[in-house]
Amino acid sequence: MSGTESVAFDTPRRERRADTFAMWVFIGSEAMLFGAIFLVFLVAHIDFGPAFAAASKRLSLPLGTFNTAVLITSSFTMALAHGLALHRRWRATIWALVATAALGVCFLIVKGIEYGKEIAEGLAPLLGLPFRYAGPDPVHAEFFFGLYFAMTSLHALHLIGGIVVIAGMIALWGAASPANRLRRVVAIGLYWHFVDIIWVFMFPVLYLINR
Amino acid sequence: MSELRKLTFGYIGLLALLALTVASSFIDLGGFNVALNLAIAAAKAVLIAMLFMHLTGTLPRLAVAAAGLWLIVLFGLTLIGR
Repeated sequence: MSGTESVAFDTPRRERRADTFAMWVFIGSEAMLFGAIFLVFLVAHIDFGPAFAAASKRLSLPLGTFNTAVLITSSFTMALAHGLALHRRWRATIWALVATAALGVCFLIVKGIEYGKEIAEGLAPLLGLPFRYAGPDPVHAEFFFGLYFAMTSLHALHLIGGIVVIAGMIALWGAASPANRLRRVVAIGLYWHFVDIIWVFMFPVLYLINR
Repeated sequence: MSELRKLTFGYIGLLALLALTVASSFIDLGGFNVALNLAIAAAKAVLIAMLFMHLTGTLPRLAVAAAGLWLIVLFGLTLIGR
């Protein structure tokens, strides 16, 4: 009765430490992906600063700020789930996980409302939609909105992945041993907080640059 | 449960930093707006990593340091080469 998932580990503690290290390596590789996109944005911002600043003003700061608060709150509930799992308070852990996933869904709904607004205003240069922008330098403003949709949709995809994994974890909860429950909560928690950190950088870069 | 208090303080700190970064964008600080916004974002990232992600132990820190090193190479060489 060692409670490990793999025979490679003699104690659950060791297995959890190996898992945690693997998650950090994975997070490092994800940082490379997002880092490259941030770099493209940075170089474009240096070259087309005024056009980017004018385009950035067309985004909804209230919705962006609200969504940042929602995601920070979801990280808080995820951290609570970790603390509760350490104390083996499983029912409360599940509720904290449900709250985290629900806040993630809330973020996606608000993001969808934002996308809808931007598409209605003709600010979405994708899928052949018309791009109508009255401000200065529309060519580089279009580039800004292209980057905006690429960055935020990549982030949203990561969030959707996190929500799906949380839902799967809850579905398999009854069959999992206590050690495996804790291990999974720790692993998804690390991923979730990382996706939050990405947004923490995306929000000022996209919404606040030179307002 | 002091763990809960720590998490709550971290959460309140994160919301305060969010308010600060949004408020700062309404004040014209010249070129410092971008630097301040990025510094606040970095502070939030450190808060999340230390309090929520429990970034301790040699191996996790090694992974983060390796990622940081490659990001420095990526950004550094690109910006120097321009």
